[in-house]
Amino acid sequence: MKELIQKAASLLETNVVQVVIGYGKGSADRTRAIFSTTAADCEQLIFDSRCIQNLAVYLTKAEIKKMGKPAIVAPLPVLRSILQLAAENQITDDSLVVLGVSPESELIEFESLAAIETYLATKQIAIEEKYQTTIKAIKAMPVSERFAYWVKELEPCFKCYACRAACPLCYCTRCTVENNQPQWISVASHSLGNLEWHIMRAMHLAGRCTDCEACYNACPMGIPIYLLTKSMLQDVSENFGTYGPSLHRDNTLSSFNPDDKESFIR
Amino acid sequence: MSKIGVFICHCGENISATVDVVRVAEAAGKLEGVEFSTDYKYMCSDPGQTLIKQMIKEKGLTGVIVAACSPRMHEPTFRKACSSAGLNPYMCEMSNLREHCSWVHDKSEATTQKAIDLVRTLVGKVKYNKPLYSIKVPVTKTALVIGGGIAGIQSSLDIANAGHQVVLVEKDPSIGGHMSQLSETFPTLDCSQCILTPRMVEVAQHPNIKLLTYAELEKLEGFIGNFKATIRKKAKSIDEDLCTGCGTCITKCPTKKIPSEFNTGLGKRTAIYVPFPQAVPNKPVIDKENCLYYKNGKCKICEKVCPTGAIRFDQEDELVELEVGAVVVATGFDVMEPSKFSEYGYGKYKDVITGLQFERLASASGPTLGEIRRPSDGKIPEKIVFVACAGSRDPSKGKPYCSKICCMYTAKHAMLYQHKVHHGESTIFYMDIRSAGKNYEEFVRRAIVEDDVKYIRGRVSKVYEENGKLIVKGVDTLLNAKPVEIQADMVVLATAAVANSGAEELAQKMHISYDAYNFFSEAHPKLKPVETNTAGIFLAGACQAPKDIPETVSQASGAAAKVAILFSQDELSREPVVAVVNRSAPPLYSTCVGCFMCATACPYQAIGEELITNRKGEVIKRVAKVNPGLCQGCGTCVAFCRSKSIDIDGYSNEQMYSEVMALLND
Amino acid sequence: MNEFEPKIVAFVCNWCTYAGADLTGTSRIKYAQNVKIIRFPCTGRIDFMLLLKSFGEGADGIIVSGCHPNDCHYTSGNFHARRRWIMFRGLLDMLGIDVRRIQYSWVSAAEGAKWADVVNTTVTAIRELGPYTDYAKVAGYLEKEANV
Repeated sequence: MKELIQKAASLLETNVVQVVIGYGKGSADRTRAIFSTTAADCEQLIFDSRCIQNLAVYLTKAEIKKMGKPAIVAPLPVLRSILQLAAENQITDDSLVVLGVSPESELIEFESLAAIETYLATKQIAIEEKYQTTIKAIKAMPVSERFAYWVKELEPCFKCYACRAACPLCYCTRCTVENNQPQWISVASHSLGNLEWHIMRAMHLAGRCTDCEACYNACPMGIPIYLLTKSMLQDVSENFGTYGPSLHRDNTLSSFNPDDKESFIR
Repeated sequence: MSKIGVFICHCGENISATVDVVRVAEAAGKLEGVEFSTDYKYMCSDPGQTLIKQMIKEKGLTGVIVAACSPRMHEPTFRKACSSAGLNPYMCEMSNLREHCSWVHDKSEATTQKAIDLVRTLVGKVKYNKPLYSIKVPVTKTALVIGGGIAGIQSSLDIANAGHQVVLVEKDPSIGGHMSQLSETFPTLDCSQCILTPRMVEVAQHPNIKLLTYAELEKLEGFIGNFKATIRKKAKSIDEDLCTGCGTCITKCPTKKIPSEFNTGLGKRTAIYVPFPQAVPNKPVIDKENCLYYKNGKCKICEKVCPTGAIRFDQEDELVELEVGAVVVATGFDVMEPSKFSEYGYGKYKDVITGLQFERLASASGPTLGEIRRPSDGKIPEKIVFVACAGSRDPSKGKPYCSKICCMYTAKHAMLYQHKVHHGESTIFYMDIRSAGKNYEEFVRRAIVEDDVKYIRGRVSKVYEENGKLIVKGVDTLLNAKPVEIQADMVVLATAAVANSGAEELAQKMHISYDAYNFFSEAHPKLKPVETNTAGIFLAGACQAPKDIPETVSQASGAAAKVAILFSQDELSREPVVAVVNRSAPPLYSTCVGCFMCATACPYQAIGEELITNRKGEVIKRVAKVNPGLCQGCGTCVAFCRSKSIDIDGYSNEQMYSEVMALLND
Repeated sequence: MNEFEPKIVAFVCNWCTYAGADLTGTSRIKYAQNVKIIRFPCTGRIDFMLLLKSFGEGADGIIVSGCHPNDCHYTSGNFHARRRWIMFRGLLDMLGIDVRRIQYSWVSAAEGAKWADVVNTTVTAIRELGPYTDYAKVAGYLEKEANV
């Protein structure tokens, strides 16, 4: 990853950026996010298969924004999040430098956000077969059993909101769950509150989620909440054709097609 | 703490006959936040309203629920009453105990219980109502009138004579509409063109009327007082300023065999043409579909002969944007596509014609110069059969409604025929004679008694040709359903009046409602006959339902009066039901994170951005901002906002949430 | 035991379905008492969270109804709503929340008879499905009642 380190260091030295968001060594065998502000710091940067955290989450954090213009180490899932954030007016071409990392661990430099979209066009989000099978199996359960399955799956959730904190698209400064006028969702980690929280989270990600799995990776209880967003991704593609982040296509739920088809409205 | 007053209306017996109103009032009185509750015979009556006002003052009410009829009926009444007693009108809500309860359920415990639930639901809402203040918007005092038939002409003249600007848009090359095609008019038999053309000329010359012919509405945006209309001026291929209307081009045009629309196909016209001699404006247009130059690239004779050099083959459609404060829709009607009458042989036999075609035959300016001659061989028919209700009142033809004008014009047709062909015989097959209207019944009697028109009550089953005659087979239901057969020389079908083919699309462009037959819907069948459900858009004439000339003119003047009333004010008060982006304490300033998906979702482009700056003028945050002038209050943005940063006054998150909670928690 | 009387909340738009339900009244067409209407300006305003809260508060069924496509008073609120419903319905189905308990419909201001029919068929359908005990258990309502 010499190339990455060199590039990051030169960006800082030339003051093109003031901080580099990248991966560094964490405790035990894990990696963590590091924020390099000097060329020397960049020596700490690493990149390997353990680097699964979605760094795009930091782009919207006030604390990081304060540090100045960032460069960000961006493997595929991060690139997708960056594009979605751009589509949602959270970042612009001028607001960051993207240090793309290809699946072959090669550094890719992007001229613009549009160039990221061109690059991603060949790397469509695809729900892995094993998840498709799981989703199919769940949907095949009788409705009561399916409900019981999810109530049980969500039972361990104690509303730590790690899923929210890890998600690059959960950048609201006040989440609805913290809104108490009215109190939309019970704050207690109780079955109803858990259910409502996860439904709301999934709905808010409908048509936006880029399937990075950061929520699942962050969940201390290992709840497979990504099955909800994956299932919705399938729904988006089945019902509306296109999906995946785009700068020129309006978001799935804030747009419509007069010919949208459904079979349940009488 | 709320002090809510609940007023349960008996509506005479409309509510109290099925709902135990006393119990509803009692139950309401026990609800948290309710200070006072009562029931009364007629809440909307003067004493009823006085009771509300009195209680607001006496009890210091902070909210009022009137549980009565639909809020769509009386919400303004009760809000006004509250306002006059010093309570903000938007602190008053109505619970719909009549349309949604007493009228749809039988008297029972469950019905009373539902009424209690409905009242409790609205009490839940009103606790979170807040005072709102109407929004003032300016009024553009120019009216757009769409359609230049008699309805559009009348509306335009009335509005213009009231001192306001009018833009009259007509899709054809001339104004005049169907009325200009008519021969004489019932029940006076005065010549249609004689009474119409002076009006057409008045329109053209009126300083307050701008006439756009050969033009159509492309787009309508905005709202009452502030519409933005885009008009497509179709290319006429002539420079109207240079053209003097001399007509040389028309005389020299080599393409002469195009069926004339004005003469309903019974006459011919050229490719460069004015639809009829009295057209306004009397300047030709080139019909691109039939012009040799547009078809083959050769000819241009008109260009060579034009003395002023007014021909413009390269002219393109032009889009004109207009700011208007009100719209009158007067797009008229069409006659039913006669090919639907295979049993009557329309299209197969040349001498089976429609009523509108008969008008052209009877018209002095028509293809036969007013002589009744049949299309096949030009002979004067000795016997004519008129078929009333050809399509109308016929569910199998998809038109169960009565077209209203056919009884009268059929009587007129028969009468005109008898006047012109003294020895002729005319027979009318009819279902019922509908001649309600001033001097109408007398007119029909005259046809029967003085002009010997034979009326047969019954339907025609079939028309076919045999030995040069049209055999009309029908039945006389007044003679024990005796079969009747008439050997006629001509058959005239009183075809149903139907909505224009583009009516549905036009309604969608303007966001007005239309009925199952594509006639535009009035806002209230009795009390708002010229209004539509979209404020600022009015209806005139047969685009709303089939109607005759007197009725059309009355409605057109009615619509004009509504426009004049609207234009009598410099600004309008609008319901303050609009969306608002929240503000919060620093360092957030607003919980909006500026994703602007609300802006994509907004149907009115009412959401823009706002930069929140500090004292030094530095931008701290970029958030969404609703333009209350453009916002129409649909609330789509509200349901869409993930952080609940945008809310709508009148249907706020707190109100709706509380309403749901109150409904389900008894 | 008496026949089960389901609690059904109807979320309707002001311009089409609310007016349509008014017409049902004006036409004196009878229907079941179980459905209670909450009026929204537009289907576009109907927050999926409110539907969810309704089940949480003990609703056995829900009706969501507005203007037919192309007839929206606000031109496109119903189109947005339709997309939202497609996604929401898919999610609820995945979670085992019984989608048969939410009836979506387009009822225009002229369809008074259709409104009565939508109400009656929904009441019948929910009656057959029975009380929504699955959700009520999660919501803790049964326990709450049992404790009283």
